[in-house]
Amino acid sequence: MELRATVEEEVARELTRMGVEGGIAELIKGEFIPAGLTAEFDELLEMQVGEAYAEDIIRMLGRGEEGEVKLGDIEVKVDKSELSGKIKEELKTKLRDVRMKLSEEKLDAILKKAEEKYEEAKVEPREAVGIVAAQSIGEPGTQMTLRTFHYAGVGAIYITLGLPRIIEIVDARKKPSTPAMKIKLAGEYALDRNKARELATEIEETYIRDIKSKIESSTEDMCVWVSLKEKELERKFIKREEIEEKIKEVGKDVLVETMEDGKLRIHVKRMSFHELLKLEKDLSDKLVKGIEGIKRAIVRRDADGEYMLYTEGSALKKVRRMEGVDFSRTTTNNISEIVDVFGIEAARNVIIKEMMDTLEEQGLDVDARHVTLIADAMTMDGEVKSIGRHGLAGGKVSALSRAAFEVTVDNLLGAAMYGETDELKGVTENVIVGQPIKLGTGAIELVAR
Amino acid sequence: MVFLEKERDKYTKYEKARIIGARALQIAAGAPVLIGTKEIDPIEIAMEEFKLGGIPITVKREK
Repeated sequence: MELRATVEEEVARELTRMGVEGGIAELIKGEFIPAGLTAEFDELLEMQVGEAYAEDIIRMLGRGEEGEVKLGDIEVKVDKSELSGKIKEELKTKLRDVRMKLSEEKLDAILKKAEEKYEEAKVEPREAVGIVAAQSIGEPGTQMTLRTFHYAGVGAIYITLGLPRIIEIVDARKKPSTPAMKIKLAGEYALDRNKARELATEIEETYIRDIKSKIESSTEDMCVWVSLKEKELERKFIKREEIEEKIKEVGKDVLVETMEDGKLRIHVKRMSFHELLKLEKDLSDKLVKGIEGIKRAIVRRDADGEYMLYTEGSALKKVRRMEGVDFSRTTTNNISEIVDVFGIEAARNVIIKEMMDTLEEQGLDVDARHVTLIADAMTMDGEVKSIGRHGLAGGKVSALSRAAFEVTVDNLLGAAMYGETDELKGVTENVIVGQPIKLGTGAIELVAR
Repeated sequence: MVFLEKERDKYTKYEKARIIGARALQIAAGAPVLIGTKEIDPIEIAMEEFKLGGIPITVKREK
C-alpha cells in the first residue's frame, strides 16, 4: 500500500508538472481513463517503483510524445465505428500494440478502411447464400477421409469422424454411431482425481461378468457359485452388500449367502435345471453399478487443469442429477438428446460445433457462417430436420423440380392426376419455363423514374 | 426482402448491375445518351451515367 502511495504521488507530481489538474484518483474515477482500461492502469500502479513506470503511466494517459494517439481515443473511436463486436476487440488489441507509431489521422484512416472492408464482406440481399453454403461444405467434403473410425485424441474412446460424421449430423439420426459425452465436474470433484474416478465408476456400466473371476452352476446342490475379483471391487468402489442387493433383484425368492472364502452362493427354491442355467446367465448379465449404455468413462484433465469425464455412450438425462456433475457444462454428441434435454437452440449450437470440429479435425477451414446457415435451416421449425438428397425434410417440393430430378414421367403424371399447382418459386421451375430466376439480378424489377 | 435502415437508400450490387444492364440495352438500341462522354461502349456509357446518377430507372422493392 505504501508502495502504491508513492507511485501515485509521483505520477500526480508528474501530471501537475504537465499541467493536468486534479489528483490521480480523480483521474481514474473521471473520464480521463476510459472504462476497460482501469484494470490495466491499476496493474501499472502496482508495478515496481522505477523510472519506467511513471513514463508508462503518462503514456497511457496519452500525454506522451508528439504524434502519439491516446489509448482512450482508440477505445472510444473503435467503439463508435460500424464494426461488429469481435472485430472491434481484435482491432483494439492490434492498435494498442502499435500506438506509439499511430497518429490521430492514421487511426481515423485505419478505421475508415476497416469499415469499408467490413461493409464489402457483408452479403447483399438476394445473394444465393444457400448454394454458396452447400458448395463451401461440399467441396471440402470431397477431401475428407471416408474412413469411419478415428480416435478423438483423448484416451482410447473412438468417435466417428470425417465424412461419415458430417452425414450423420445432417441426416439428423436419432442416435449417432458412436455416442459420447463430455462431463464437466462441479466443486471438489473437478479438483480431486480420486473423487472424479469414483464418479466415473458411478457412470461406467459394470456387470457381474466384469467383476467375477468365476461363475458356475452346480447341479449337485442346485445353486450358482460366484467368486468375485477383490481388486476389481476395490477399483470400482463396489461394496459386497451392494452386490448382494443387486443379485436379489435378478428374480423372485433369490437367496444369497456369502461363504467364508468370499464365494457367493445363489439359490432359488425348487429350481429346474433349465431355470438354473437361466439364473446363471441372468446373474452374469446383471448390472451392479453405473448407467446402462455407458461403456466407458475416462477421467482426464481439461485445459484449465480441471478433471472431467469422457464417456463412450451417452445418457444425458441419467447423468443430470448426479452429484458432482456440472450439468450446465456437460455435453453430448447425440443431437436428439440435446433437443430433449436442453432444447432446440442448444441443438443448433451443437450442430454447428460438431460440424466445425469435424471439419477442423480434417484440416478443412470452412467459414462458420455456412455451417450456421445449415444448422439454422435444420432447426428453424423447433425440431431437428434432416437434409437428404431431396433437400430439407418435410419441405414441399414443386412438381416441376421433382420431375427435373428423378423419374420425370411418374412425377408429372402424379402431379397431373392430383391437380397440383406450381408456384414457380424455385430455380429449376423457372429455368424450365424459361423465366429469370428469383435470385440476384433476376429478382429485380425495374421501374421508370 | 428485408433491408436495414441504412441500406434502404443504397443499391445492392445486383440492383446496380440490373440498372446498368437495362440502360446499356437502351443506349445500344439508340436511346439518347444523357451525359457528354468519350466512351463508345454502351455498357461503359451506362456505368458513367449511373455514377452521375442520371439513369431514369429505379428498382421496385417490396415493402
